[in-house]
Amino acid sequence: MFHRIPHVAASLWCAGALTLSGSLAACVETVPPEMVEAIESLDRDLLQLQAGEMAPSEYAAFVHQWVTLRNRVEAEEDTIRWPWEPNDLEQALRDLQAEGAKAVARLTEQQEAERRAAARQLADVEERARAIATQVSAIDSRLILAEKPVETDLLLKRARAFYEQGRYEQSLQASDRASHHLTAQSALLQRELGRYASPDRIAQWQRMARETIEWSKKHRTSAIVISKAERSLTLYRSGQKLVSYPVRLGFNGINEKRYQGDGATPEGRYRIAGKRGRGQTQFYRALLLDYPNQDDRRRFLNDRKKGKIPALRDIGGQIEIHGVDNELMAQTLGCVMLENPQMAALFERVDNGTPVTIVGALLEHNSVERALVNLSTRRNEV
Amino acid sequence: MKIRYVLVSILGMSLLMGGCAQPPADQINAAEQAVKDAQQNGAATYVANDYAKVEGLLAAMKTEVAEQDGKFALFRDYGKAEQLAATTKAEAERVKADAAKKMEEAKFGAAQAYQAAQATVASTLALVAKAPAGKDRAALEAIKTDAQALKASLNDVQLLLDKADYLAAQTKAKAIQEKGEAVSHEIETALAKIGKGKPMARKK
Repeated sequence: MFHRIPHVAASLWCAGALTLSGSLAACVETVPPEMVEAIESLDRDLLQLQAGEMAPSEYAAFVHQWVTLRNRVEAEEDTIRWPWEPNDLEQALRDLQAEGAKAVARLTEQQEAERRAAARQLADVEERARAIATQVSAIDSRLILAEKPVETDLLLKRARAFYEQGRYEQSLQASDRASHHLTAQSALLQRELGRYASPDRIAQWQRMARETIEWSKKHRTSAIVISKAERSLTLYRSGQKLVSYPVRLGFNGINEKRYQGDGATPEGRYRIAGKRGRGQTQFYRALLLDYPNQDDRRRFLNDRKKGKIPALRDIGGQIEIHGVDNELMAQTLGCVMLENPQMAALFERVDNGTPVTIVGALLEHNSVERALVNLSTRRNEV
Repeated sequence: MKIRYVLVSILGMSLLMGGCAQPPADQINAAEQAVKDAQQNGAATYVANDYAKVEGLLAAMKTEVAEQDGKFALFRDYGKAEQLAATTKAEAERVKADAAKKMEEAKFGAAQAYQAAQATVASTLALVAKAPAGKDRAALEAIKTDAQALKASLNDVQLLLDKADYLAAQTKAKAIQEKGEAVSHEIETALAKIGKGKPMARKK
């Protein structure tokens, strides 16, 4: 009996120790460390996605919740719980992790959508700018647009730079402004050159040309008709077409001449006022026209009254049909230029007083009208 | 006996009053001011992510204060709020300093880009001026308009610099420089085509 007592005590002690160690082994940490690491990693992802810029209030809310929960995690670091004990902190962290993951997914998608939208819009506007430049170049109307193409180009360059920096919103804004500039350019061209697409105006030009040809027929002599849109000079003799030559015009030739130095080629009824042969002109041979005529002077005075003519600008003069001084020169200052062999042939067939009628266009579907239609189609597409 | 009750009540009340914690108003104000300063110093533009984080800290601090305010007076503890206020203030000050540094870098970058753009436009205009007068100049008229437009757009960069919008100024200046180089190249090509030309200024 005396020998059994220590055995019982030992058994009881062992049982107690086993229970305690079993209980301790069953205890758990308040928050698994990998969950904290996961949220920290989400925070880094959000920063990389520029959440602070793309969704500032949402990101601030995430940080707010994370800071609050991290404080609780730190406060409860040394606490251990029974596995069956409710753990609202762990649940809150799980919720935050889920929210953060959702935000990362949403921002990734949003950023990709913005990138695609910026790329698409930029490509569209760049393509539209190229198309307009092509049309403008085809009809030599760059000067009508003045500084606008450069402004548009600068906006497109900025849009491209923003896109490459990943600043898609700014890229979209810049390309949107460039698009508006292009629309304004199209509108300006339509306004300035709309007469080339006006049936009434074309009918008027056709009538002017017909009357010149009739005059040639009636007086059995030469007459010249120049069409700016078709870039052609046609020589008539006794009402019959003799020959047609391609011509080059002023650097702003497609426009209506308004004043000296505007680079425009005048439209109207003129006569040859002087013939300049070898040694009398820089341009091989030249036929001086009687620009400005009475109509030109009347128009000039009207425009001056309306303030359309810059101060100190004269009406201009010395408009000629001439040959080529430099083969590489594509344009003149307002004259009509022919290749030298053709100039030589023309020079021999006309005299002082020969009528020269310069019109905008003779065909309803002329090059300028086609360019305007193309511009208008593109504008409608946009 | 009555006097003893009164004394005990007064003692109890004063203990209760002394035991009621007050929100750390000074620290909260200081943190709010620091965030405001950071914002006013361009933090939202130059260090947007860090600034958003600071705003998150500020919101967390406010929530903590509101939570404690909502508790029964005896159980209020603003220790955590105080700690958050200190963290917010320190972070806001760091962000403000970072923003100032970034802004200075952007300012320097913008000034450099502006100078480069000015130099390019000046050389473009010099090339235009070198072009011969008279008929031979016709080919250059359109390019001349572009060069003048570039010169005018330099004013926009100056305006952006004056408004301290350095990032926009830098982007615009770089675009001008790029375009200026393209226009210069166009002029050189045109000049090469024209050659020396024969000066002949006449009415047209």
